[in-house]
Amino acid sequence: MANQTDLANRSNGLAEAVHQREAIAPVVDVYENGDELLLFVDVPGATNDGIDVQLEKGQLTILAKRREDAPGPLLAAEYRSYDYLRVFSVPQGIDPSKIDAQLGGGVLRVRLPKSESVKPRRIEVKQG
Amino acid sequence: MFSRFGDESRDFALLDEFRRRIDRLWEDMDTSWPANSSNARTHSSSAWPRINLYDAGSNLVLKADVPGLSEKDVHVTLNESGVSISGDRKVAPPEGYSAHRQERTSFGFSRSLSLPCKVNPEQTQASVKNGVLTVTLAKAPEAQPRQIAVQAN
Repeated sequence: MANQTDLANRSNGLAEAVHQREAIAPVVDVYENGDELLLFVDVPGATNDGIDVQLEKGQLTILAKRREDAPGPLLAAEYRSYDYLRVFSVPQGIDPSKIDAQLGGGVLRVRLPKSESVKPRRIEVKQG
Repeated sequence: MFSRFGDESRDFALLDEFRRRIDRLWEDMDTSWPANSSNARTHSSSAWPRINLYDAGSNLVLKADVPGLSEKDVHVTLNESGVSISGDRKVAPPEGYSAHRQERTSFGFSRSLSLPCKVNPEQTQASVKNGVLTVTLAKAPEAQPRQIAVQAN
């Protein structure tokens, strides 16, 4: 899986957005076993309704929007509330209808189950 | 970015120290300001977690990004000189999986900062929600904003 860097994406055919919210690349862990790919993404501050996970043309797009109201004037700032955006190329054989995303404690977990045809299979050896 | 007062009183000296620390934090941060770089952000554990401090009138509110940490994993300590946040971030790889990419790491962290005014330790609250730590520090009575009546002559 390679990460794509084209954050400005004009593939939807619409006019270029005049203002695009800034997004940062969140840190990601990618694991694989025989049944699925498993991603963990750190998205502190994001809530369920701001998360968009899409698989299209072999590209997995993970977008997590962060909206927070400041409790008052800022005295010191080390971070800003950026959105999180990361795009991966995923191998063929992922079943798009079974992708599952779950958010807990600022960490997004995405499961990408493999379709039956690419799962490893044990071949029974028959007696001749 | 912050203008500086002359050290006319101890209160201002404290404020100055706070500004200096924040200025230093800004310097640290410039190198890791990600915007739209293709490199994934890396945490230097010395400056983790990132902290924002807000003035909410009668409270100071401290917010820090602590993804994957629960209330048990974060310790908030209040003392004379300010507030400290420490703890351990543990990232356990799931069993039976092979790793393609591991950018999330385990590390311990500890940070402290001075506060711009006195706070009331009894009324300090901390919570973790959606991976964001929020510490609400009630300002001490003498630091509370006060409305001054303007009198007609």
